[in-house]
Amino acid sequence: MSLLADIVVILLNGLQQGAIYVLLAVGLSIILGTLKFVNFAHGALYLLGTYAGLFVALSVPLSNGKLQEWGFTSFGLDWGFFAALVLVPLVVFVAGLLMERFLARSFYDRPDTDQILVTFGLAIVVQELFRVLFGSNSLPFEQPERILSVGSFAGIPVSGPVALPIVGNFPQWRLWVIGITAVLVLLVYVLVEFTDFGLVVRAGTRDAEMVRLLGIKITRPYIVVFGIGAALAGIAGVVGGPLNVVNPTIGTNILVPAFLTVVIGGVGSIAGAVLGGVIFGLATATLVAFAPAWSQVGLYAIAAIVLLTRPQGLLGDEEVAP
Amino acid sequence: MSEKTDTATASTDTTTSTKSETAFGGSLSERWEQLRGREGTVVGLTAIFVAVFPWLFARAPVISDFVQGYQSLATLILIWGIFAIGFDLLLGYTGLLSFGHAAFWGGAAYASGIVAKNVSGDPIVMVVSGTLFAVLLAWVLGFLSLRRGGIYFAILTLAFAQMMYFMAASPLAFLTNGENGLTGVEVGSLFGMIHLEADIPAFGGMLLGTWLYAFVGLFFVGAVAVAYRILNSPYGMVFRAIRENEQRAEFVGLNVWRYKLMAFIISGAFAGVAGSLFTIHGSYVPLQSLFWTESGDIVVMTVLGGAGSMFGPVLGVGLYLYVENIVSTIQALTIPFTDIVLIKDFGFYWHLLLGAIFLVVVWVVPDGLWGILSRIREFVSAKLGGDR
Repeated sequence: MSLLADIVVILLNGLQQGAIYVLLAVGLSIILGTLKFVNFAHGALYLLGTYAGLFVALSVPLSNGKLQEWGFTSFGLDWGFFAALVLVPLVVFVAGLLMERFLARSFYDRPDTDQILVTFGLAIVVQELFRVLFGSNSLPFEQPERILSVGSFAGIPVSGPVALPIVGNFPQWRLWVIGITAVLVLLVYVLVEFTDFGLVVRAGTRDAEMVRLLGIKITRPYIVVFGIGAALAGIAGVVGGPLNVVNPTIGTNILVPAFLTVVIGGVGSIAGAVLGGVIFGLATATLVAFAPAWSQVGLYAIAAIVLLTRPQGLLGDEEVAP
Repeated sequence: MSEKTDTATASTDTTTSTKSETAFGGSLSERWEQLRGREGTVVGLTAIFVAVFPWLFARAPVISDFVQGYQSLATLILIWGIFAIGFDLLLGYTGLLSFGHAAFWGGAAYASGIVAKNVSGDPIVMVVSGTLFAVLLAWVLGFLSLRRGGIYFAILTLAFAQMMYFMAASPLAFLTNGENGLTGVEVGSLFGMIHLEADIPAFGGMLLGTWLYAFVGLFFVGAVAVAYRILNSPYGMVFRAIRENEQRAEFVGLNVWRYKLMAFIISGAFAGVAGSLFTIHGSYVPLQSLFWTESGDIVVMTVLGGAGSMFGPVLGVGLYLYVENIVSTIQALTIPFTDIVLIKDFGFYWHLLLGAIFLVVVWVVPDGLWGILSRIREFVSAKLGGDR
């Protein structure tokens, strides 16, 4: 019985860990698959999401950084978590639009290497801006107790343990992360596969010039795709923030696993990103339980094995992959 | 390695003799144009630069007061310079962007440190073992990563390097001392009689400072000579051909894959020499030296200075390390010769400043600061040289 319980806990933890990777990877993957743009600044969008989420949802005291020197002793609106979940994707969506319009667009025709370099530079700049403003210290991002806490209006509890069959008590917030991810990924999947918008995007992936010749303005769907990818990274920041430490390096740290998720799943494939994220999440959770020393190595070993045996990724399409 | 420096000095001699033969005829700028491309000139000028650099940087009156350099930083700049020259062979000349060179730099640093602790602390043994390790590692990782180009190559190298980092962090902690880094590396004396930390006596000491700097300087001149020789040989021409158009190089009948692997290994060897020297320099290997930000740093330095040029990356290294170590200590940025403060706590922004400069360079001048300098040089020489 307890073995079964252990297995279920590992599964749930793995799914939760994987969910963060999935949110980031789906965004990266649709940007890389449709726009052929390599975004090393995707981690910076995650970083922005986490800090924006912290800002909207809570109010935390500042201990160092320039903001504190300038006289701000605390940081945040304290509007509750639901507000963060709604506002942050919008903010990061807009950030994504701006990034596409002013940075990515002028790099579509330049080599991959230049795209990697310029977005890497942007990632450094964003990270250092946050370091200057908030200091290098970690900020406390407490798990929200209620999904709604505006004024006296209290909603469904989201943190604390919840009793599950077989497992017993399990942190409720982790389940919410899995649920939110599942819903969002499904929405993106429907948008890309079953709407006219998605049709244009997919056609653009195959042959952008032909789509243009048919009289469709491909730039508009492109900028929206970039925005959606960014918004997903923002949400990943909001839901993942309370589970990890919050400091300026989280963006660059999560970028590598996120990218690996994309490439083992297959560039441009949403299902692939989900599969990749789940594999990474489960592998990490299993190793943490049985061989903690190897927990981080496992992820990279899996990535290397997959890429060497199936270079286009598990569910990747050789034709679409750049 | 000392052999290489011998050849370097030998070729300097030959150039000096040819210089006197062709001394008559042609204007000064014309003669300079003929000379500046020669290997002997390049290596000779590098040697002169290495010889006066620490004096100018750390001890010269007025100048060193202004730049506020110090001996140890001069050594560090040369070490990273070797790394950058090697990295540029791959990025600038072969057109492959690796995000995993920390594996060779840090790997060699650890290998030489572990050898020093367990086998022998002789500096030459350390460099040889570190470099050998880096070469073998580059062989394996290159073999695996070069199967795919473009972003896949970047991400694969990144993945392997991160794997090394996490291996060193915990499963191999019995060898590497895990999170704390490899402490207590005792570097022995060179040839059993020269202590690297000691100052060079007399005039040499005034110019070069410590024996360590001289040791590193020899490797630096050697690295420049080797890189120059490779790049100007038919072999190096193939690297450039692959950068320009891989498919066409393949059609001509070149085994592109083998050349790419070789470029990767050579580049790994340079990183290995640099990494081993880094251990000798610091007597310590931080775990950080395997982390991917270290790979990112070498990318930033190389591109900032100018990928695809011989000395651009070294310029980038100098700028980066200067900003990281000296500009970061500036309390307040004032307008020169006044007390008007422009920016308070200026040094605090050093990394942001570098990131922003890097962003602008990638965007606007992809050939880096060296590209700007050489455009200025061409402009001036066109003005001087008249209508030729």
